[in-house]
Amino acid sequence: MTPSVIAGLLGAALVGLGLYGLILHPHPLRKLLAFNLIGSGVFLVFGIVARRGAAAGLRFDPVPQAMIITGIVVAFAASAVAVALILRLSAVGRRVTLDPEVPTRPDGGDAK
Amino acid sequence: MTDLFPILLVASLGTPLAFLAACFVKGWRRQVLALQWLAPTPALATGLAGLTRAPLTYDLPVSGFTLRLDPPSALLLAGAALLWIIISAAIWRDRQPDNRWGLSWLLTMTGNLGVFIAGDLVSFYLLYALASIPAYGLFAFSDDGERKRAGAIYMAFTILGEALLLLAFAMLIAGEPHGSANIADVMAALPTSPWRDAILGLIIAGFGMKMGMIPFNGWMPLTYSAAPIPAAAVLSGAGVKAGVIGLLRFLPLGLPLEGWGDALVVMGFLCAFYGVAFGLVQQNTKVVLAYSSISQMGVIMAAFGVALVKGQAGAALEVGFYAANHLLVKAALFLTIGVLAIRGGRLSRATYILAALLALSLAGLPLTGGALAKIATKAQFAGGAEAVLATLSSIGTAMLMTHFLICLATSPSGAAQECPAGFVPLWPGIALGAILLPWAFYPAVGDISYAFEWGTLVDGLWPVALGVGLALILRRIDRFLPRVPVGDSIVLEEAAFGRLLGIGSSFKALDARLCQWSAACVSLLLITLALLAASL
Amino acid sequence: MTELWTTTPGGYLIVLAILLPLAGIILSFTLGGRSAERVALGSTPFGLALACAIALHVGRAGKPIVYVIGALEPPLGIALRADGISAIMLITTAVIVTAAALYARAKFATPDGIRESRSSLIFWIMLQSIWAALIIIFVSGDLFNLYVALELLTFAAVPLVCIDGRPETLVAALRYLLFALFGSICYLLGVALLYGAHGTLDIPLLAQRVQSTPVVWTAAALMTGGLLAKTALFPLHLWLPPAHANAPAAASAVLSSLVVKGSFFLTLRLWFYVLPGLSADQAAMVIGCLGSAAIIAGSVMALRQARLKLLIAYSTVAQIGYLFLVFPLATGAQSWSAMSWSACFMQILAHAFAKAAMFFSAGLLAEALGHDQIARLGGAARVLPLTFLTIALSGLSLMGLPPSGGFSAKWLMLQASIISGQWFWTLPILAGGLLAAGYVYRILAPALSDDRISLKSSPKRSQEVLALGLAMIAIALGFMPQTFSDILEIGRPIAAALP
Repeated sequence: MTPSVIAGLLGAALVGLGLYGLILHPHPLRKLLAFNLIGSGVFLVFGIVARRGAAAGLRFDPVPQAMIITGIVVAFAASAVAVALILRLSAVGRRVTLDPEVPTRPDGGDAK
Repeated sequence: MTDLFPILLVASLGTPLAFLAACFVKGWRRQVLALQWLAPTPALATGLAGLTRAPLTYDLPVSGFTLRLDPPSALLLAGAALLWIIISAAIWRDRQPDNRWGLSWLLTMTGNLGVFIAGDLVSFYLLYALASIPAYGLFAFSDDGERKRAGAIYMAFTILGEALLLLAFAMLIAGEPHGSANIADVMAALPTSPWRDAILGLIIAGFGMKMGMIPFNGWMPLTYSAAPIPAAAVLSGAGVKAGVIGLLRFLPLGLPLEGWGDALVVMGFLCAFYGVAFGLVQQNTKVVLAYSSISQMGVIMAAFGVALVKGQAGAALEVGFYAANHLLVKAALFLTIGVLAIRGGRLSRATYILAALLALSLAGLPLTGGALAKIATKAQFAGGAEAVLATLSSIGTAMLMTHFLICLATSPSGAAQECPAGFVPLWPGIALGAILLPWAFYPAVGDISYAFEWGTLVDGLWPVALGVGLALILRRIDRFLPRVPVGDSIVLEEAAFGRLLGIGSSFKALDARLCQWSAACVSLLLITLALLAASL
Repeated sequence: MTELWTTTPGGYLIVLAILLPLAGIILSFTLGGRSAERVALGSTPFGLALACAIALHVGRAGKPIVYVIGALEPPLGIALRADGISAIMLITTAVIVTAAALYARAKFATPDGIRESRSSLIFWIMLQSIWAALIIIFVSGDLFNLYVALELLTFAAVPLVCIDGRPETLVAALRYLLFALFGSICYLLGVALLYGAHGTLDIPLLAQRVQSTPVVWTAAALMTGGLLAKTALFPLHLWLPPAHANAPAAASAVLSSLVVKGSFFLTLRLWFYVLPGLSADQAAMVIGCLGSAAIIAGSVMALRQARLKLLIAYSTVAQIGYLFLVFPLATGAQSWSAMSWSACFMQILAHAFAKAAMFFSAGLLAEALGHDQIARLGGAARVLPLTFLTIALSGLSLMGLPPSGGFSAKWLMLQASIISGQWFWTLPILAGGLLAAGYVYRILAPALSDDRISLKSSPKRSQEVLALGLAMIAIALGFMPQTFSDILEIGRPIAAALP
């Protein structure tokens, strides 16, 4: 069992766990965490890719690592936006859920 | 002079378009709409000049559009333009319809005149849509439930017809090896097109919808009874002829096509008798005329069918003449309803006789324009079964027209308010014109002396007399006749449509299901897997 | 072919085009609310000019213009490329963003004397961010770079959805964000696999290297799935109707006409620029089927909506479906491929302008009437003739009646499906037109009736004219000359393969 395979399996496990959470957990915060799990799994795959670059003769391939860094920043930003939204939702005193449960009032929306 | 003719041709489309453009100038609209009776004058001139000329195809620079005029389309163009001029002038002489109505009128007019001279697929489709869709505004802008219903049904059939034609046109242009959209080119490529039969089926169904072919006939009685008299006159006269010009342009008349020809003959006569039968049980004069239109359009379809069977290219002119006669007479008949309603009870005998002559002209009463129309299509209905059916259809038309006259004289009509009073003094002229004008056009079609031969006169007279007699007998047993709702099959079609709408709620349930979070996530995974499976 | 990896004359224009909105964002942040509006409005004409300049360059050279960042060539460096489709999309984006900015002044302007508000600051910054992200998506030549741009686009679009802070808009925004994140993580995984297999993410370089291997197809499937989620292709449209229907009108217009096209554009890049050499007829068929389903389901749902903005949003779901028919119709180098290609872009443009005009009008209606219930529009056309003229004209294009861009698109699509022998696509195309006629009729017929209706406030003439202008463009697209499809072919790999 090479480290690459272990990392790959770990990545797959993370993605699987994340998928489960993202699809089935009702609370948006948990979905967000699940998304971050998937993200970590994907970054692990990037890590393996970097190792494969090493296998091609380079000492290591810096490009995937740069991508991981960028990806983490992006995922962090995404999580921040999502958390901000969730906070706002709970601040306006609404049950935090993704169910659209009749979002419109009978008199229409934009009048406000 | 030869140089002038293309200019005239362009002007016949350009003038109404210029009027349309002028409508958008602030402050001009009211005057422009009131003067729009001038807009079809170049078209009238073009039509008259084009009657005796060789077919002309003219490519408009820049736009890529093509105009085309040949004698059959010239005939229809002249008739339609005349109709639009007279009716527009009379409407705006003594009342000012609101701008919305006026604009719908102008748009319909532009499309209607243009469709007779459109020479390529795109402009034909455009003008055909323009001739059909804005006509909605002529009768359906109302809070009256029945008018709204008529409008919705009219719109449904119009759009459905447009969709069928769009597919047909796309197939036509796809079959043209050089991608030319010129109608002459695509029609030349049609015989070898791999989609020939599909195209013909779509063409017949699409234009058939405009012409009230069964089972698409239901909108016509509804529309004409909802439309005010002048609108009904132009729609039944000129509007429906957009379907005729469509068949004229898009049926390969020079090519013997037995199967399609026979189908069209059967369908045509079916419509011809269907219209008579269902018209006879109606009491509303406008509805009776609508059924008569269904019947007459059936005759035209049958004539096209025979021409297809025999491969007669020349039949176009003769059928065009028949259609042009119907254009004038049917419009005049609608105006008759309005004028007689305005004048009320005390009517002179001369008025009745004129109305009767006009009505029976449609049935081919000798020495009227209708007789010429019948003679013109005699070549089509020459032998065997067709001749018998054509004679039967004349008898039927005579019956229906007699029924119309009886309804006109007996049943009260609410048409007085719908019809501008300006038509009253004009009416005798209009009626006489509708009866006699075809004589002026006939020399372009055939030998006029034939119409005066003794045998022809007798041939023309006896079906009319028989029809009138039968109608009078039928009146005796009137109360035993079933009462059929206006638009007959439309009631069933509406029910079926309502059933179809029920599917919408299951769509809604499906959509709600798919829009659940977990369902959407699973769909995403499934789509990814499906793509993977499909590409491996 | 080396010219694809070296900076060409005019390449700096691409950099300027990207820098302009980015500089605008930074300026807006630093100068604050009152100036954000001026910055955004001030930069749009320059953006439009730059887009036109790029288009001119591309059109004149007949090949893509390239800028290699830092002169560091791919695979290590990143190249920016503007080809024919980028040029067209850049212009479209600039026009619509400009229109949206002008339209939004009524709601988000903070003239002197009025307190600055957070929502207006956010609006102007996010509008510019969307613009910047779209420009990067249209010109970037690197799949990872595109990922970042795509995320930027989402992050800029989400706040616009919930800009007024009502709970239902927050829910809509959250749904949008989370589902888009799911989509982008799929895309990212695909990118990782592609890089692992071929060691580059530069599009033309990758196009040379890819082979029909399971890794490549897995990557393609993941990336496509993710992009479809972001494009809201049926049945992945759960986020679109609430998000687009709840945003303010100017934002809805941008979201519906541009933002979903960003991820669609990327899907095109993937299939027609990265994988053009590989035959994937069946996958294309799957996408085509989804597109057809979107046309039918979206239109039927639009027919059933009670709120005008929801109707328009579902109409977007349907109109997006048409775009995806390009996949089965434009693969390969057949004669109909170019036809479908122009049809697809004609549909993108026609929908962009018509839908923006529709949303603008819906916004005006909601302001003027105080509601956007379709059932209560009776007689509204008498008091708001210009707005309903706009709805009618853009409806004409959505239905595909001539003369309009929508008609040209469907006309070409129908021809392509007939010539290619895939006649079955004609059914959803025509049915979609019929259903579109149905939902446009649902808006117009009551509005044109004789009922009386009173206005709460009369709309601003300038906004009405703006909406009408966009609808006119959608109509005018019907008269697009042949050069349009020539420009679209510039830099398209499959076209280069033709003799």
